[in-house]
Amino acid sequence: MNIKKLGKLALPYLVWMLVLVGIPLVMIFILSFMNTDGVSFVGATWTTAAWEKMFSFADPTNLKILGDTFLYALIATVICFLIGYPMAYIVARSPFSNKFVILILTIIPMWSNSLLRNVALKNILSETNILDNLLSRIGLSFSIAFANQDQATFISIIIGLVLTYLPFMILPIYTVIEKIDESLLEASMDLGANRVRTFAKVTFPLSMKGVTTGIIMVFLPCFSGFAIQKLLSSGTVYVLGSLIEANFIHDINFVSMLSIVILILIFGSMMIVAKVDKEGATLV
Amino acid sequence: MAKKLIELNDITKMYDGAAVVNHINLYINENEFITLLGPSGCGKTTTLRMIGGFEKPDSGTVVMNGVVVNDVPPYERPINTVFQRYALFPHLNVYDNVAFGLRNQKVPKEEIAERVENALKLVSLPNFALRKVTNLSGGQQQRVAIARAIVNKPKILLLDEPLAALDLKLRQNMQYELKEMQRKLGITFVYVTHDQEEALTMSDTIVVMKDGVIQQIGTPTGIYNEPKNRFVARFIGESNILEGVYVRQNLVSFMGAEFDCVDTQFADGEPVDVVIRPEDLDIIDAAGAKLVGEVSSSIFRGVHFELCVMVQGKEFVIHTYENRKVGDHVGLRVDSYEIHLMKVEHVEH
Amino acid sequence: MGVRKKEPGRITLFFRRPDVEKVVGSIANLLKYAFFAFFMLLMYLPIFVIAIQSFNQSTGLIYQFNGFTFEHWMNVLTFDLDSSLAKAITTTLLVAVLATAISTVLGTLVAIGIHSLPKKKRQGMVFLNQVPILNADIITGISLMFVFKIVAELIPGVFGIPSLLVAHVFFCMPYVVLSILPKLAELDENLYDAALDLYCKPSAGIVKVIIPAIMPGILTGMLIAFTMSIDDFLISFFNAGQVNNLSIYIYGGYNRRLAPEVYAYNTILSTVIILGLVAMYVVSAAKKRAALKHDLRHA
Repeated sequence: MNIKKLGKLALPYLVWMLVLVGIPLVMIFILSFMNTDGVSFVGATWTTAAWEKMFSFADPTNLKILGDTFLYALIATVICFLIGYPMAYIVARSPFSNKFVILILTIIPMWSNSLLRNVALKNILSETNILDNLLSRIGLSFSIAFANQDQATFISIIIGLVLTYLPFMILPIYTVIEKIDESLLEASMDLGANRVRTFAKVTFPLSMKGVTTGIIMVFLPCFSGFAIQKLLSSGTVYVLGSLIEANFIHDINFVSMLSIVILILIFGSMMIVAKVDKEGATLV
Repeated sequence: MAKKLIELNDITKMYDGAAVVNHINLYINENEFITLLGPSGCGKTTTLRMIGGFEKPDSGTVVMNGVVVNDVPPYERPINTVFQRYALFPHLNVYDNVAFGLRNQKVPKEEIAERVENALKLVSLPNFALRKVTNLSGGQQQRVAIARAIVNKPKILLLDEPLAALDLKLRQNMQYELKEMQRKLGITFVYVTHDQEEALTMSDTIVVMKDGVIQQIGTPTGIYNEPKNRFVARFIGESNILEGVYVRQNLVSFMGAEFDCVDTQFADGEPVDVVIRPEDLDIIDAAGAKLVGEVSSSIFRGVHFELCVMVQGKEFVIHTYENRKVGDHVGLRVDSYEIHLMKVEHVEH
Repeated sequence: MGVRKKEPGRITLFFRRPDVEKVVGSIANLLKYAFFAFFMLLMYLPIFVIAIQSFNQSTGLIYQFNGFTFEHWMNVLTFDLDSSLAKAITTTLLVAVLATAISTVLGTLVAIGIHSLPKKKRQGMVFLNQVPILNADIITGISLMFVFKIVAELIPGVFGIPSLLVAHVFFCMPYVVLSILPKLAELDENLYDAALDLYCKPSAGIVKVIIPAIMPGILTGMLIAFTMSIDDFLISFFNAGQVNNLSIYIYGGYNRRLAPEVYAYNTILSTVIILGLVAMYVVSAAKKRAALKHDLRHA
């Protein structure tokens, strides 16, 4: 392709990205150290008040929320990985000639509104639920019994996060496993490795690119979102995102500071992705 | 006198600060089959792309029919190209691929149909019009690419290693067909290859390039028999290259002996490089021979044997019809007119 | 005779071992597919419930099936909806369609541009392109909100559909770019030159050759963009101003009873998308088969 002539098509995009990514990033950083009235700097001064509000050992409420948020996200991500990897592997290595259909099956849930799916899930997880009601007509029952309300809330949120973000774990892992050359596996077996060893020494290392992307694509939204947690706990569980939601109109400085906490995680993830997947091959 | 169609005057092209094409001068005649030959990275493809208009030279001029065309884009040049991996349009069938250029030139529909049909006939794919190009074999894709170019009746056809992806047998057939096609159509062919055999077989003129510099321009026989320097001698065919001294007219000394020769353009006592082709060395009895050595290997090559003979620690390659055993002591003989002398180059990469 | 006596023993040995392996293998296979099917089922359970709710009569509790009705479907299809829901659906679809169209067109050009850059610059742009994808939605939402707050000082009406549209184009376009780049990389590097060689002007070369050749990538990107846009909550939440899209509508009513038409709308939309894709798939498969048949006939 005629390199120099078409490359200029990318230039406006560079400007667009710098304006919509760069400027807000600088603003978030500055605003987290100020007390402003909205985005107006008139009469604002430098202060670490926002940071103290978060990292205060005298009042650890916010710190505890940070810990809870991390815990929810971590557990959901681990479960997604434990379920998603085998599922991706089964599809990629299945003898089905038409993997496209199975793949579409994985994507179809994404065309239902994710919040509505969680509303439906809340229904299913309630003691009296619509499935139970339907099944009772043919003499069956379907009801999950929880020990107490706290446990119910916790498990519901984990299930909600896992079911919502599972496709984001399956798809990138599927993409890389599908691309692994079969002859590599044959070579490994030919060189004396059995199936388990071949998986451990060849397939798994080669699928790390997809695993990394999958973990990031699940962990980040689980860590930073708040809607699913709020829906499934009927507003009783607070996560980092809830603090942002509660403050984004009145306390932009605190919101900026919370954003930085999330941004630190994101920067780490991007560095990892930039290392393992330069062309972004596993992101779509 | 042949008419000059294209002239490249003192052309230089830089990539990342390095000259890929370095001050080259070249002209191409009407109806000529000219081949740019050289190893990869020698600048041959870049030169071709500058003729096609895909690249602009950093300095120098490309002149076509007496007009400087440096700034004329490819779509305004009466030149068509057969690209290395064919660059067929994957979303179009064979017919639409071949008709593509004609449609862009707003040729009437009936004429397009006729010309496409003729072009496909010429490349022996008459019933392929509605086939998908992605389902064709390499050889068939190659023919479609040629048809797509010649259907436009260009003045010049550029071919960038068009046979590189084909297997040996097919490649040899296509060499013959391309040459025939060029003769029939009366189009100038500019052909790029790294395959010296291909160049020798097809070309009227060969331009040998290395590191962006033209090493030699000549006919196939001229380049084979009288290479200008060590690079050309080594690149075109096999050769034994020896250091020698031009003693005086018609006498050269190398390997501790003096030989008659026919080259005359050197000064007495000037160091020279001596080239002897493997097929020009004859094996004779060791007794009385000027060059004596021991056979170190012998390989059967089908028509001939390839012998290696060690003479005073220097290995000679000889092509001969009669085999000798490894370890045999033999003498080597060469006729005076088969000793070719070259100027010594001080810069040798 | 002695040989014959040995024969059966050997044969049973040969048969027995594969038998055992076969049984173990098929049990393992069964477990494998059972595992897969179980979690697929779990993912589909909420969608199943949404479908049921779309036919559930609204007199009574949402936790029980009060009787079958087409009423909600009819209400959606005739757009006879409560005005806040109608507005939310209109906003969602309007923004999704516009954002998909804009990001597909621009994303295609940008992808071609990025592909044509020298390696170092290309990798830089690919990385920058990933920022909105890897970025947490909440950060994207807040970032854009800051930008719009500044813009709002100059153009007061920016919050609402305009801000939503820009925000959606912002997070949809990277998916389009990322779907197209691998298709470009697969192309013959001389394809564009071939177009110019055959008398296309540069813009015609892009339209007539490059874009048709990367069409599958463009369609994939378009589909992803649309999917992301209709389902977005977080980014829209911070940038919608006084407007609601469907996700915000659902979120706002999380503790109340949702209008049953929401379930019907959702079921209809996903059915339409799925049927559309199946139709597209069937048509392209039929085309492929026809082309293959034709080729075989002339081979």
